[in-house]
Amino acid sequence: MRAIRSVAVNVFRESVRDRVPYNLVLFAVLLIASSYLIGQLTAGQDVKIIKDLGLAATSVFGLFISIFIGIGLVSKEVERRSIYALLSKPVSRAQFVAGKYAGLVLTLAVNVTVMTVALYIILAYMVWTEPPTIRAGWDAPGTDPRLLKAIFLIFIELMLVTAIALFFSTFSSPILSAALTFGFYVVGHFNADLKNFDRVVDSKAAAYLARGLYHVLPDLSAFDVKTEVVHGLPVTFGYLASTAAYGVAYVTALLLLATFIFSRRDFK
Amino acid sequence: MSPAIRIEELTKDYAIGFWRRRPYRALDRLTLDIEPGEVYGFLGPNGAGKTTTLKLLMQLIYPTSGRAEILGRPVGDIAMRRRIGYLPENPSFYDYLTAEELLGYFAELFGYKGADRRKRVDTLLERVGIGAERRLQLRKFSKGMIQRVGIAQALLNDPEVIFLDEPMSGLDPLGRRDVRSLILELRDQGRTVFFSSHILADAEALCRRVAVLAGGRLAASGTLTDILAFQVHGWELVMANVSPEVLAKVKPAVRNTTEISPGRYALELSLDQAPDRILADLTAAGATLISLNPMRDTLEDFFMKRVAEMGTGARAPMAGDDHASH
Amino acid sequence: MNRRRDAIVLALAVAAFGVAIALQMTRDRSYPRDERLTEQILYVRSPAALKRMTLEFDAVLADVYWIRAIQHYGGDRLSGPRAASKYLLLYPLLDLTTTLDPYFNIAYRFGAIFLSEAYPGGPGRPDQSVALLRKAIVAMPHKWQYYHDIGFVYYWRLRDYQTAALWFQRAATQPNAPNWLTPLAASMLGRGQDRAAARFLWQQIAKSEEAWLRRSAQRALLQLQALDRIDYLDAVNTRFPPAAGEQYSWPRLIAKRLLPGVPVDPTGTPYEIDPATGRVRVAQESPLFPMPEEPRRLQ
Repeated sequence: MRAIRSVAVNVFRESVRDRVPYNLVLFAVLLIASSYLIGQLTAGQDVKIIKDLGLAATSVFGLFISIFIGIGLVSKEVERRSIYALLSKPVSRAQFVAGKYAGLVLTLAVNVTVMTVALYIILAYMVWTEPPTIRAGWDAPGTDPRLLKAIFLIFIELMLVTAIALFFSTFSSPILSAALTFGFYVVGHFNADLKNFDRVVDSKAAAYLARGLYHVLPDLSAFDVKTEVVHGLPVTFGYLASTAAYGVAYVTALLLLATFIFSRRDFK
Repeated sequence: MSPAIRIEELTKDYAIGFWRRRPYRALDRLTLDIEPGEVYGFLGPNGAGKTTTLKLLMQLIYPTSGRAEILGRPVGDIAMRRRIGYLPENPSFYDYLTAEELLGYFAELFGYKGADRRKRVDTLLERVGIGAERRLQLRKFSKGMIQRVGIAQALLNDPEVIFLDEPMSGLDPLGRRDVRSLILELRDQGRTVFFSSHILADAEALCRRVAVLAGGRLAASGTLTDILAFQVHGWELVMANVSPEVLAKVKPAVRNTTEISPGRYALELSLDQAPDRILADLTAAGATLISLNPMRDTLEDFFMKRVAEMGTGARAPMAGDDHASH
Repeated sequence: MNRRRDAIVLALAVAAFGVAIALQMTRDRSYPRDERLTEQILYVRSPAALKRMTLEFDAVLADVYWIRAIQHYGGDRLSGPRAASKYLLLYPLLDLTTTLDPYFNIAYRFGAIFLSEAYPGGPGRPDQSVALLRKAIVAMPHKWQYYHDIGFVYYWRLRDYQTAALWFQRAATQPNAPNWLTPLAASMLGRGQDRAAARFLWQQIAKSEEAWLRRSAQRALLQLQALDRIDYLDAVNTRFPPAAGEQYSWPRLIAKRLLPGVPVDPTGTPYEIDPATGRVRVAQESPLFPMPEEPRRLQ
């Protein structure tokens, strides 16, 4: 356990010293701020636009971090051979994989928190400056705590994407890992279409195959409740809990699989 | 007393080629025992399989067959790793960490906490001579300094057995001398040191017993002197102030003559010639003795011969061989 | 390599996967996502904007939207009493599909038939049908089927026989047009024979290569058959009205040996008869329900 924590803290330290996350966070904050300016142009709709943009930016920049750091988590250590000294210490390969993952999740958590706080600050400012008549026309309150529901699921989704990136990182090169992870991300968002294939094709076999793929591939579109929270529509805790549980189970499966692959590797 | 390191029939094959995967045997049934408290040299030319062996011992790679134990535990044992240290060949760590942070990270992995950890890190940094640089990021370190950091991390946990893969590589003569004295110090403390090298001189200065690896196979093992004693094949006599007349007289008697500089010659004598006679003649003629040394095979020459012998199978066990493999 | 430990890890991985899938299925059952906010499956409302965003993947995305159009249509059809969305998205989805892929023939023809179909069979928007078909003609100006389909919508849904005839005639002038289009145009303008014209039109459609078109046509033909039968049954009732105090009913006619048994429609569902007025109609439970409005007989 302590070993996992040490490895995780080191990953976090690396991500902080790698200037990439700084830039991304800065960029995201700038984007959110500029969306405020855009919002000035569309009377009454600015809150919705900012919420949309803020959530989207959090998701996108989180995605960049997940993929670009995730793909290098294991492969960088192997490529620059720092893994030789590390694995001769009392840390098992499983602990190594778990620690790397935990470290990146920690990095993500910090980044998502910063972006969330920035978003709420801007929203609070808008609530403060808008007259009550306009505020009455909003679908949902400006600083709606329900936004956190969307952010929570975005975070779980990022955890899933990170696990996918880490998984590929245990056995393939960074470029290939990036392509595959991004591919899974895209496919995961169109996943829901596979489910209802049986209504569209005549072949039973194709319908079964599609349904099988729906279950095996990561069901990422389920994590997207941005539109609902922005419009103030209900998202039940039951939905949040079951979707999050799905995410955690899938992550667990991926980490175990990654451990299996990593444990059997020779480090020439 | 049970061996500190026991290696039994350790073999590693790599699959080469994409279609018909012919295995390349990097290590062939190595069997060795290393006793506790000794400094054991693991010698061989580049590509002989030394690093492969060390990686198998650290379980960075898995054996095709055979097994190995360190301190009586199988090589994968995590608890045993608390009692050993390892310096990889041409080590590289994390450039974004400082020397201090790297040692702190590893100390954490060993289980050191708080003040105890800080003390260990300080002790080791001092031991390897890294003072103010400890706060610099490793990306700014020279090769020699990285090597020193590498040694520090190998000794962080006061290990009973230390594995060093080419510890002298990249060091200047001063650095090599430091490492040599460090190894001797470890020996005096009763620790076991297992180090690999392709430089005979290093082994000569430090080890009592060595193993010689060539082409993945154990060519010889035993005490150093026994192994290499037979390989003396002549004498080299270096004389100064040799006049041309004296040279002409002596030339037919010797195997080879090389001019080092005007008046200074290196004379190669064959084994059956007692060097005293020629030395006496030359001294009488006014030449001065510079040096007289037995000429030995270099380690490479020894390997070539050995491997060729092992290839044909025509090989008698050598005196001093304790675990030679066929 | 500890084989046993590795095998355990792998087994646990598979188990975790199983748990994930089980959770997914449970979640889907409790929170079915077909009812989710409709805007989402469009992502982008503007077809022009979408086309610019999709880089080279127009065709694939067109397929995706096509699949969603069919699912949406099929989903709404099957959802029974829950059909609150009234096929709102069918036109936008087909519009998106055909903007991404202007040669997507099936999408146009699907829209032609089903956009104009009256609720609850469809959204009942013949205007959208025509709009989509006009777009088709811009993309492929020489396919006679599109002109034919527009004529069909004007005839069957909008009851505008003049315009229908015009379009059928235009269809007739396209290359490879079948030779029955001109006489059909003529019969639009002619006297009576309306049900025959409709029957003829549907019979042509029943020869289509598309399974769903054939099914629609076959259903329509059965409906026309039912209409014929209803005419006959109405005539029987008119000729043999019940006595004072009696009501219209099937047993009465059966007792009078005017009918061998309770009359059933082509699907086997018994016809209903209004006890007061004697009007015969197809039962609500019948698959043929709702029946099409009869084209008015021309004077």
